[in-house]
Amino acid sequence: MDMMWISILLAFALIALLSLGVWVSFTLIAVGGLGLILSENYQVDLLFATSSWGASTAWSLTALPLFIWMGEVLFRTRLSEDLFKGLSPWLGGVPGKLLHVNILSCGIFAAVSGSSAATAATIGRMTLPELRKQGYSDRMAIGTLAGSGTLGLLIPPSIILIVYGVAAEVSIARLFIAGALPGLLLVSLFMGFTMIWGHLHKDELPKTTGHETSWSARIKGLRKLLPVVGLIGFVLGSIYGGITTPTEAAAIGVAGALVLAALTGSLSRHSFMDSLLGAVKSSCMIGFILVGAHFLTLAMGFLGIPKALALWISGMSLSPMELILYLTVLFVVLGCFLDGISVVVLTVAVILPMVQAANIDLLWFGVFIVLVVEMSQITPPVGFNLFVIQALTGKNILYVAKAALPFFLLIGVAILLISMFPEIVTYLPTTMSQN
Amino acid sequence: EKWHMPTPYGDGNLQTQIAYTFAKEIKDNSDLEITVHSGGSLVKHTEIPRSVKSGQVQMGEMFLGILGNENPIYKHDNIPFLATSFEDAKKLWEAAKPSIAKELDKDGMMLLYTVAWPAQSLYSKEPVNSLADLQGQKMRAYSPTQSRLADLMDTTPMTIQTPDIPQAFSTGIIQAMITSPSTGVDSQAWDYVNNYTDVKAWIPKNIVVVNKRAFRRLDKATQQVVLDAAKNAEAAGWTQIAARAAKDKATLLENGMTVSDPSPQLVEELKAIGKTMTEEWKAEAPQEIGEILTRYQN
Amino acid sequence: MLFRKVNTMSQLKEKLYLCSGLLSGLCIVIITSLLLAQIVGRLFGFIVPSAEDFAGYALAASTFLGLAYTFREGGHIRVTLLIQRFSPVPRKIQEGIILILSFALLCYLSYACGYMVYESYIYEEVSYGYIPVPLWIPQLPVAIGVIALNLAILDALVSLLRGQKTTYSEQEDALSLEEI
Ligand code: NA
Ligand code: NA
Repeated sequence: MDMMWISILLAFALIALLSLGVWVSFTLIAVGGLGLILSENYQVDLLFATSSWGASTAWSLTALPLFIWMGEVLFRTRLSEDLFKGLSPWLGGVPGKLLHVNILSCGIFAAVSGSSAATAATIGRMTLPELRKQGYSDRMAIGTLAGSGTLGLLIPPSIILIVYGVAAEVSIARLFIAGALPGLLLVSLFMGFTMIWGHLHKDELPKTTGHETSWSARIKGLRKLLPVVGLIGFVLGSIYGGITTPTEAAAIGVAGALVLAALTGSLSRHSFMDSLLGAVKSSCMIGFILVGAHFLTLAMGFLGIPKALALWISGMSLSPMELILYLTVLFVVLGCFLDGISVVVLTVAVILPMVQAANIDLLWFGVFIVLVVEMSQITPPVGFNLFVIQALTGKNILYVAKAALPFFLLIGVAILLISMFPEIVTYLPTTMSQN
Repeated sequence: EKWHMPTPYGDGNLQTQIAYTFAKEIKDNSDLEITVHSGGSLVKHTEIPRSVKSGQVQMGEMFLGILGNENPIYKHDNIPFLATSFEDAKKLWEAAKPSIAKELDKDGMMLLYTVAWPAQSLYSKEPVNSLADLQGQKMRAYSPTQSRLADLMDTTPMTIQTPDIPQAFSTGIIQAMITSPSTGVDSQAWDYVNNYTDVKAWIPKNIVVVNKRAFRRLDKATQQVVLDAAKNAEAAGWTQIAARAAKDKATLLENGMTVSDPSPQLVEELKAIGKTMTEEWKAEAPQEIGEILTRYQN
Repeated sequence: MLFRKVNTMSQLKEKLYLCSGLLSGLCIVIITSLLLAQIVGRLFGFIVPSAEDFAGYALAASTFLGLAYTFREGGHIRVTLLIQRFSPVPRKIQEGIILILSFALLCYLSYACGYMVYESYIYEEVSYGYIPVPLWIPQLPVAIGVIALNLAILDALVSLLRGQKTTYSEQEDALSLEEI
């Protein structure tokens, strides 16, 4: 069968099964199996077993359940409440108020965690219930979380930058540094948008003007932030102080969260079990979806669909700017159906030679890839941040996607900005060579 | 006919480039079309042996050393200071090849060709003139052999995954590691470490294997095309890797690293360690390894 | 008499589901301990051999052993946008269809994962890392987890056929009631 028809058939099967209410992970596996059969590969059973075993034992994923557990532990302490109490004197006067807590916490937590699902899950567990309780617009609470959760990938450490760095043979240390300024840019874009939104939609923010914004209240607020800041600082310190590798940092985070819970008296046998079972529920859901995504990716590898699309683009002899535009569209379309890391793995071999031929800086391109992968985290039907937030809130995936749409567009703006001013990416890495 | 060939490393590696040439030669001369899936993009490295063995893919490339737990003969190219020049490595391979081919055959795989890596050498924060300079430092080790080597060198072995290496150096988790100049160039070692001492500890290899049943199903002419292409690939591998090693070393130098040959004292000390480790390796399977060593040393 | 039997049966089921969740949670605790041990080991100069491998095995075990518990708790997510507009009878038919489809899929996956363990066992496959581990041992939880999920789907299908509400949809409804 023609590759185009196979692609259309698979996309149709995916959407049909999902709308019929089949679980996301089961759907991905079924469509992957269908893809293998269409590629005339009939050892579906062996391939499923091998790919699942490989996907579910990946070292880079071991941090995910730990960060989710950390979020569950913190959610059961007074810490999340304190986070808001501490920040409200600072943010109370800013348009959009405590919605900025989502963005700032994600930005800070992203410095500890390398994945966007872990960032959205950990921070969302703490902030969403509190924002709802205080009467913030659900749509905006979800949107800011979905958007800024993706910062986990851009602000170092980052799983996707490691994958890209290995594939493109670019220094991972330099990539990490290169991600820092674009990360700040994205935080500013998100906060700027939230301020404008807050200014225009005062009616969708809590009516209470009770946020004390005097300096004495702010200083008092800082004290409430101490435990959270201490925990993050402790984890960051252990990474940059040479005690742990970024993957192991998750374990320090869990240990720190448990100690904090014990110190504040909210750790009991009951709450410990509760937090653990909560973590099981989220991490099994995400883990099995990853297994399915990996299997679908395998089928795509055999079919060669992403490669063919990339080859098609390379055949068009485009100018660098056109190339970036086409690649953005390609990644966004593929990112609707595959998870971001798989898109990079499947296309990088074809795309890198084009990028090098167009004289595009490989560090810059790595950051560009992260930004488009971030976009794919919040596009339906397959978007991991959407899944995480649906599990947290019970809101439908399309609702979440709609709430995240402005942030999707803002990431697009960030891509435009780094294309116009590549120094945002390349400046910091040039300062780092020790020789 | 269409075949799939997963390989573990990215397109910049010599091994992968040779795989592409190999596939192209076969395609030009027969109806067999082999798609190379580089960089673990189809199958993860550790799953490649199993995938070829069970016929999920028809061909595959792997680092020979990862089979070391199945049979110690697969570790022959990971024994420090046993073969440190490309001539010796080639000789060692000729000595080990019959045993390796037999062992692979038992698992339903047929050996096609091998491509060596550049010799593994020492990267360190401080210059190393003798082992005393390394004493008590922390060195990266990712296999039992490497860990034993670290012990014998009077250093503390540390398990660090490849992506974590730069950070591990910058933050002082490790002060030394042994790896190839290519890996050093790929990870831009000059960002985090200063000294490269060309000790040439060992010369590991990748092998390319084909599933026996899949190979048998090809017609005789195509089989011959595959075998010829494999022969050419192996020959190309040995000539090109030496050039690649020299080029990568030059790149390290260009980027400001201190590249030096080991002092005579260091060479003596390391040779002694090599002797110990060869004996220990031999003890793991005295008869099979003994045969390889006899063939190699004569 | 019959009633009591049913009661103990459902209690047993509850216990098994909880067991699935707890085993999965235990694996998360094991991962945490392994990584912490590795960090402490680095400070004091000892190595936890194959810590990455074992953490990976525990991760696989955690993901798969908890599948049944997660399914019952409505943790596996799906798109309910369309189906929640169905009236009760078509909705019941739709749930029946997808449960049967899922059951068929999981039967196949149970076979695939079971066969993987069997093959690793008879070919005596070992891991590639520091300590050679016979691979069938860490793979066994994967197969058990998939089979348990398979049974959980069957259990839901039986409840549906008996005219009861499935627990996963109860959980889904409870979660969406929390919405404002
Ligand atoms: Na991050
Ligand atoms: Na997406």
